[in-house]
Amino acid sequence: MKHLLYLHGRAARSALRTLIRQPLGSLLSLFMLAVAISLPLGLYLIVASLSSWSNGLAAAPQITLFMEASADRPDVETVNQTLKQHALVKSHRFVSKEQALQDLMKRNSLNGLTEGLGSNPLPDAFIIDPKDTAPEPLERLQKELSGLPMVEATQFDAGWAKKLHSLLSLGHQLTLLLGAALGIAMVLASSNTIRLQILSRRDEIEVSKLIGATDGFIRRPFVYFAVFQGVLAALIAWGLSAWLIASANPALAELATLYNDHATLRNLNADEVLVLLGGVALLAALGARLATGHILRQIEPQ
Amino acid sequence: MIQFDQVTKRYPGGIDALKNLSFKVDKGEMVFLAGHSGAGKSTLLKLIAGIERATSGTVLINGQNLGKLGGTQISYMRQHIGLVFQDHKILFDRSVFDNVMLPLDVIGFDRREAAKRVRAALDKVGLLEREKSNPIRLSGGEQQRLCIARAVVHRPSILLADEPTGNLDRDYAHDIMALFKSFNQVGVTVVVSAHDETLMNEYGRRIIRLAHGHFTA
Repeated sequence: MKHLLYLHGRAARSALRTLIRQPLGSLLSLFMLAVAISLPLGLYLIVASLSSWSNGLAAAPQITLFMEASADRPDVETVNQTLKQHALVKSHRFVSKEQALQDLMKRNSLNGLTEGLGSNPLPDAFIIDPKDTAPEPLERLQKELSGLPMVEATQFDAGWAKKLHSLLSLGHQLTLLLGAALGIAMVLASSNTIRLQILSRRDEIEVSKLIGATDGFIRRPFVYFAVFQGVLAALIAWGLSAWLIASANPALAELATLYNDHATLRNLNADEVLVLLGGVALLAALGARLATGHILRQIEPQ
Repeated sequence: MIQFDQVTKRYPGGIDALKNLSFKVDKGEMVFLAGHSGAGKSTLLKLIAGIERATSGTVLINGQNLGKLGGTQISYMRQHIGLVFQDHKILFDRSVFDNVMLPLDVIGFDRREAAKRVRAALDKVGLLEREKSNPIRLSGGEQQRLCIARAVVHRPSILLADEPTGNLDRDYAHDIMALFKSFNQVGVTVVVSAHDETLMNEYGRRIIRLAHGHFTA
């Protein structure tokens, strides 16, 4: 076991030496990989930033619940209790018909209108912040609330929430799709690089086989090379996305202030960086493994 | 140490390189393999090293049936064998020293210890002062000796040499044979093939004669 670790350490060091000594060609393929990774990475970051922003929006969907005009205090209190205990309700606020009328007056400078009206035409109302802003639970909650006793109607801006959500889920899907395409490209690119490397060292491999090198021994430095290259490309892509975000954020902030809002794109957090590096390393290793498996069978000593 | 039981090797196309051969080489023995080219000498050596597999019959090396070993096990078995090739199979992209280092790298030898072993092996074949040279600058005889240094650096228990004196003049051939003899004297089992029987006769060892895949007397 210790010996195997020693052999692995040696293979890794030899791969690192090869990588450092590489000429311009491999530097170019490194940047090609980095740019390819930064595409879905950038999209992912935009979607992730938008998602967290939309969850914090002041204009997040609210449900307004109107009581019937004939509802009295106990009826209102029943609804109030139901809302308090409801699992899907984050918070709610009661607006009495008197308060609503006052607000209306204030807003529209309609002082003096009350006299002409005789009685208050507005109903008691509750304004509800739902816990889950996805369209389906929203609709479910709305339906349920409409069925409460003495409730006249409920209202919420479904179209707006639906559009944002479907846009974001489209973004998610695009990210997945791009990510999958990149994954395949990653495997192919690494297998191609490794295949060329193996072919250029054909004699060495043949002699090594003759003097007792196992396939694993021959394969190891190539797999390490591919992993190092992939991880390096991912790190460059991470840097690229950080740079893009840094240069896009001021413009975005300016745009957001027009709507009295804050909006920033964020970069990857530590967990996401680990997932990115791990995933890329795995794909690169897979590609190298495919290439070596195929070619090692071809190079048989004569 | 090496045991063949009714071994036949048939190459694609129906040519039998070896037909129903049975023989034994004891531990620590040195044996010559004689015969014209095409007699099956190379095939026999390849079967011992597990480079080729027998079509029928069994090849036992150190009690292991090679026909039953997988690829990785064959590789480990080869780490106990030293091979000297007719065409040397030297790598010209690295120094003499690094060529001899290769088998120790494969085994995963400690680097400092390995360097000592490499120099000892080069010293033994008289190439120590050439360790930094590129092998392309060595003569044919020197390349053959480099190949021998590489074959013995990991102290194998079996040393196989395929026509090591094939392209060399007599004096050089004697040097090479003397080297093999000295390895045999420290306990290595040695099998050397050649077509020059007068050379072999001078060493008084057992000679296995092959013709058309059969033993001849």
